[in-house]
Amino acid sequence: MATAPSRIDAPEIEGVDELHRPWQVVVWDDPVNLMTYVVYVFRKLFGFPEAKATKLMLAVHQEGRAVVASGPREKCELDCYRLHHYGLWATMEKT
Amino acid sequence: MLSMLPELLENVGAVGVDPAADRLNPAAYPEDPVSNANFHEMTDSDLALARSDDRIRFSDSLDTGSLDEDGAQMWLRVLGDARLTLAARMGIEDEAWENDRSLSESIEGAMLSYLGYLQNALIEVLTSSL
Repeated sequence: MATAPSRIDAPEIEGVDELHRPWQVVVWDDPVNLMTYVVYVFRKLFGFPEAKATKLMLAVHQEGRAVVASGPREKCELDCYRLHHYGLWATMEKT
Repeated sequence: MLSMLPELLENVGAVGVDPAADRLNPAAYPEDPVSNANFHEMTDSDLALARSDDRIRFSDSLDTGSLDEDGAQMWLRVLGDARLTLAARMGIEDEAWENDRSLSESIEGAMLSYLGYLQNALIEVLTSSL
């Protein structure tokens, strides 16, 4: 698309870049939710087998955080929403 | 005691005012206020509706006394929200609370343990069908 020189600037290029730049969902440790609960939520929401869900839960517990999902922004925001509904603290990060 | 949980949750105040609300509606973008505001504008009312629906179904299930898988998952969420709310009321911010007998042996602490015990029982049943 032809544009006047004053419109070929950073925001337009950044917009395209953001569309294709993947995001990730981070779950943070908290002192209240049970480990068994966190494992169950991971299994239910993401379909992980027990071993993977347990490994992720332990990463959250021991390291304070873990990446549990990645993908396009809207998909990750939906994951955050679902995790919040189950009382976990999830945040969005660019990969 | 379980019949009091919906009321406990309904009495949670506003984000920014009530620490329980802050915990139940955490920031999705802690370092990006614009994206965070957009996210919450899009999702807050849906989440509030979903929780309100959970509470109504929870109260109903106390009357009927039976739960299907969907109902058990709803119970997990309501019990979980109640635990987070209680913990916020107790001022719990890190894991040290479990070794603080004035907290762990308080009435709220006992409730926290009991609700956790119920969650574990539900998880055991739910996991066996996963």
